[in-house]
Amino acid sequence: MTLWAVMIAGAVAASFAAAMLLSRSLYVGAVCLLVVLLQTALIFLLRGAPLLGLLQVMIYAGAVMVLVVVTIMASGGTPAAERLADFTVPRWAAAAAVAAVALELVLTLAAARAVPEAAPALAPASGDYASAFGVSLFRSYSLATEAVTLLMFLAGLAVLPEKEAP
Amino acid sequence: MSAAIWAITAFLFSAGLAAVVLRRQLLAMLLGVELMIAGVNVALVHYAGRYADAEALAAVAVVIAVAAAEAVVGLSLILKVLRSGRGLDAGDLAELRG
Repeated sequence: MTLWAVMIAGAVAASFAAAMLLSRSLYVGAVCLLVVLLQTALIFLLRGAPLLGLLQVMIYAGAVMVLVVVTIMASGGTPAAERLADFTVPRWAAAAAVAAVALELVLTLAAARAVPEAAPALAPASGDYASAFGVSLFRSYSLATEAVTLLMFLAGLAVLPEKEAP
Repeated sequence: MSAAIWAITAFLFSAGLAAVVLRRQLLAMLLGVELMIAGVNVALVHYAGRYADAEALAAVAVVIAVAAAEAVVGLSLILKVLRSGRGLDAGDLAELRG
């Protein structure tokens, strides 16, 4: 069950990655990347890493993609921004996407219900594994965690508006 | 399962690499980099789960945070280039100021 859910999520992600590559519109590319990131978050969940899936949704879908869309909007007036009218999806493609998402939902719920029986396959979801993740993040990766914190702070400084010259 | 994961990873990474190499717009290139990182993370998470390696999951968490910071810095640089009036095309940025 998990395998089928992962394969469908992977197929949807691959389809939208191809659409992102082939589309000339930046808006379409951003939306396609958003779908790919959501599908990878679902794969994280199915492979026993729900926290990373949540981080993926919060950081990418919630923060980075908003920045990307704002940047595209800020580039208004360029030929790329004027291709917003290209943002149409064929009906058959939309229907296939909705069907795939519904099937993913069913398979994911079925896989979640089957966790106690399939304990060896989904053992990483256990509490020990999650606590080991936290311990490794703040012990063996503590220096990297602190460095990333500093990097995020510096990245925040990079987006601060500059003082206008008089 | 591993074959499916490798196929997904390879396709996402290849599509991202193709976007970086073939597209001329800076934003599309940045989106391609994000796609490549997402593809690699899929393989890392799969093998972390397979071998119950919590340190690999910690590495993925660090990679996600670094990728977010990279995206923020990249987008702010793109906005700076836009403000300077040079457009979104990477071909317009072939010369250094010197």
